[in-house]
Amino acid sequence: MNKYFSTKMSIFVFAAPALLLFTVFCVYPLLPEIWMSLHKHDGFRSLGFVGLDNYADAFNNSSFWTAHRNTYLIVGISVLLGLPLSMALALFMDVQPPRLRRFFKSSAMFPAILSVTVVSQIWVAFYEPNWGLFNAILKSIGLSSWTHSWLTERRTVMPSIGLVFLWQYIGLNAMLFYTGIKTIPKMYYEAALIDGAKFVQVCMRITIPLLQDVIKYVLILSTLGSMAFYSHVRVMTAGGPGDVSRTVIYQMYYTAFDTSEFGKGTAIAVIFILECLLISFLIQRFVAKEKLEF
Amino acid sequence: MSKASKTAGLILLAGLLLVASACGAKKNDAQPSPSAEPSESSTPAASNSESQAPGEKIKMRVITITTDENRNNIMEKYIKPNIAKALPNLEVEFEPGGGGEDMANKLKTLNASGDMPDVFWDDAGYFTPLKSTGSILDLTPYIAKDGFLDKYAVPDALKHFDGKIYSISSGADTYFTPVIFYHKDMFEKAGVQVPTTFDELIGISKTLKDKGMVPAVTPGKDGWGPKLYMLQQMIQIGDPQAMADLVANKTDFNNPSVKAGAARIEQLAKEGVFPDGIANLDYGPAMEMFTSKKAAMLWMFTWELPNLAKDDTVDFFPFPSAGDAYDPAKFVQFWGSPLNGYAVSAKTEHPEEAVKLAEFLAMADALYFESTGAPIALKTGNPPAESSPLMKKFIDWYNPIPTKIPSLALNSLDARTSAELSSQGANLLTGEYSADKFAEAMNKVWSENTWFDN
Amino acid sequence: MKYLSRAFWLLAGGTFLFPLYWMIAMSLKSKSEAYDNPFGVPRSWDWQNFSEALSKYPFFSYLENSLIYTLGTIALTLATGSMLAYCLSRMKWRFNAAALFYVSMGLIVPIEVVVIPLFQLIKLLHLKNSYLGLILPYSGFAMASCVLMLYAFLRSLPKELEEAACMDGANVYQTFFKIILPIVMPALVTQCVLLFMRIWNEFPLAFIIAAKDRFRPLTVGLLNFFVNVGVSDWGMIGAAMLLSSLPVIVVYLAGNEKIEQALTAGAILK
Repeated sequence: MNKYFSTKMSIFVFAAPALLLFTVFCVYPLLPEIWMSLHKHDGFRSLGFVGLDNYADAFNNSSFWTAHRNTYLIVGISVLLGLPLSMALALFMDVQPPRLRRFFKSSAMFPAILSVTVVSQIWVAFYEPNWGLFNAILKSIGLSSWTHSWLTERRTVMPSIGLVFLWQYIGLNAMLFYTGIKTIPKMYYEAALIDGAKFVQVCMRITIPLLQDVIKYVLILSTLGSMAFYSHVRVMTAGGPGDVSRTVIYQMYYTAFDTSEFGKGTAIAVIFILECLLISFLIQRFVAKEKLEF
Repeated sequence: MSKASKTAGLILLAGLLLVASACGAKKNDAQPSPSAEPSESSTPAASNSESQAPGEKIKMRVITITTDENRNNIMEKYIKPNIAKALPNLEVEFEPGGGGEDMANKLKTLNASGDMPDVFWDDAGYFTPLKSTGSILDLTPYIAKDGFLDKYAVPDALKHFDGKIYSISSGADTYFTPVIFYHKDMFEKAGVQVPTTFDELIGISKTLKDKGMVPAVTPGKDGWGPKLYMLQQMIQIGDPQAMADLVANKTDFNNPSVKAGAARIEQLAKEGVFPDGIANLDYGPAMEMFTSKKAAMLWMFTWELPNLAKDDTVDFFPFPSAGDAYDPAKFVQFWGSPLNGYAVSAKTEHPEEAVKLAEFLAMADALYFESTGAPIALKTGNPPAESSPLMKKFIDWYNPIPTKIPSLALNSLDARTSAELSSQGANLLTGEYSADKFAEAMNKVWSENTWFDN
Repeated sequence: MKYLSRAFWLLAGGTFLFPLYWMIAMSLKSKSEAYDNPFGVPRSWDWQNFSEALSKYPFFSYLENSLIYTLGTIALTLATGSMLAYCLSRMKWRFNAAALFYVSMGLIVPIEVVVIPLFQLIKLLHLKNSYLGLILPYSGFAMASCVLMLYAFLRSLPKELEEAACMDGANVYQTFFKIILPIVMPALVTQCVLLFMRIWNEFPLAFIIAAKDRFRPLTVGLLNFFVNVGVSDWGMIGAAMLLSSLPVIVVYLAGNEKIEQALTAGAILK
């Protein structure tokens, strides 16, 4: 069958269009990017070759490290807290009565379909220190001392933004897991349940192992998605106060566009892309590496 | 087999191309923009030829700032209704550019890719990169020839320090200065007087706060207030000379008077003069807090004066002094920069027409500001409109002031220094950041400031 | 216990829906009420915000553009992406692993990083001021997640399907379009919804490339509305947010059912 299926022609027809699109529009633009990172560049023209100076500059900048701390905080929140929660939601959703499930499914994914601009704008109102929802609730239950100016205090700003991100995508990830669960043939469950296995055991021994590919996909998607975390910060705090809530992408954008130092900005971009490559390599290497055959 | 697979492949590709061409073709149908109503009757044959047939309109692309209520009013009431009549040979497409960093980023990107609009709003914040790439036209010969230059009260004020004119505006800018607007009735209710010293200002703020009012608001998000006026104002109420020196690059952030200015912002934040979360407060919500009388004072430029004057409980006072060296009747800061205004791309295909368009837009600005009673530098030929009492009060105070210190934000900062001042200024507003740290960080950036290099 | 758990689910679902309520409530409040009563039920219903927002906001033209970008990108990405995923999961090709890794790199390149080179490329290809100017890069950037997800689903399909088709004398194209695609329909529909949400809400690239008003999608239009018109009028901002989100909500509610159906269909086939 392989001989018959995998002719050169068919491989070409199946692989070429997507690879071409991907190469031209997603990979090619990185070349000018790398070139820029080796130059002093103001966005319009090179002001001379500077070797790796831009990279050294990036590493010597305290904002660069603040941005990294923030970015990995978000990655931690969304992977270590978000994914287990999403998985739990998906597993429980599977055993709820249909009407409740339908309601929950529609509502849990709802935040993810709204645009980041809209969601961030709404949460800015929730966090507003004077009339916002959170402080109003805290005051009404007598916890006035717990109120904060959430988005301008150095200690609260990043966790506050992280919560928005968590809230927005937790339902989406649960849906992805749930779609995966639905594709697992029913007979596997039935066999296990006939053997007298408990729900949790079925989940741990059958559902989750069979979901490996989906888990890997969601893991990569949400790790890398949260590494590129940017838009919420842009709308909610503009990286502020000062550089306290900047993420790596924000720092890159700030350096390139706000300070007109495109060489330094693209150097940050290249470093960032290498980090992402490393992380996705680690996931590819260590998660779900054995093939599953039905 | 191979033949069949080829056929299938071709069909598939054809399908893709069909999708592609369908998407591509759509926009060709939509070519004439809705604003191109007149001259519909011109012969279709003529419009196919490449040459500029008579009756054919020249296409112009304009990017303007669209940040506040004034800009909306100018567009809706002065530009759109009149442009077809004033410039019948042009078909103008307006692109809203936003403002601030959005606008700057957009123009930088367009410039980098050689896609500048014919006419655009220029700003000191992105002028340098546009000029160094030769993208901005020297308007002098054009506006001298057609006499537009003569309509300015002080034509020399339009010149950049290289002697050329890059932007034309209504000239209302030079009358924009930060003041403290306040609600008279709220002051009365709290039993406080207009302060004349910085300490009194802190004092009345405490009283206002005790009465449950927000003492003062100003936009603080991304360091808007500190960067655009507050730092300068807080320095000059103690030592105007030090401020003038800083604008001229004759001193730096080690100067004790400059540090004292930063310390005053820190003090304002710590004493609760501003509401919680001021460092993340946007322009619109800040305005709203004042106009809805939640906040007693608004620290703002006088470009909002015409709008605020509609409420007759609103009055204003100049920033109170923090030392003998400063007297509000002797020193003031002003916003103007010869670089702010409508500019023409050096790469436009029709410079003559583009300059005419820029002149029309500057005149629209002038007509609008004139209608609000604001002073302007561009003569419209209309009799001056009746000013509100508040505007009269402002002009009577502002015009006689002998020493007007230009804005630090517009006249001394390169892109990086400007961006860093925003961040550092927002830090000060949190009250969790010391003036010493601020001075140290700013000094490093200031020593690398390239604005004065050329 | 059972009721407690149900109450919990209803409450949890409610927190996710709160913004919808808030947008609707905001859009019905007058300017002053939005500040006095930001989270409560509107005291009086003020429909004016909608008419005012519509008059200052060319909603329908933006809507049409958004639809063209989104549907075009979905068609292109799903057509090419599903074929590549099939090739990588089933065909014997020397570079299978390499190609998969290569494509997965696409997940990690944020669009913001390459705005300037991308813009120059679009100009070079004469795609500026055409819908393709956004559709092609969107498709390139969406390829990675689309291929990876479909790959994951295709890999879990039993090989016997193709073997049977092969016996019946179907060639690879017939097998793919007639047998495989219908089976992975649930994944395609899910991907369709994901792509829709992603492209519909994309902002940074659209802001730069779709510079002309005629080609602007809703997101860019919405931001302009925030900074130009809305400024501090939360009632109008709420109305504009609701209008702009409405299409996506409708598609989602409709698509939601479709996903459900497709899922059961997929399960039966197995």
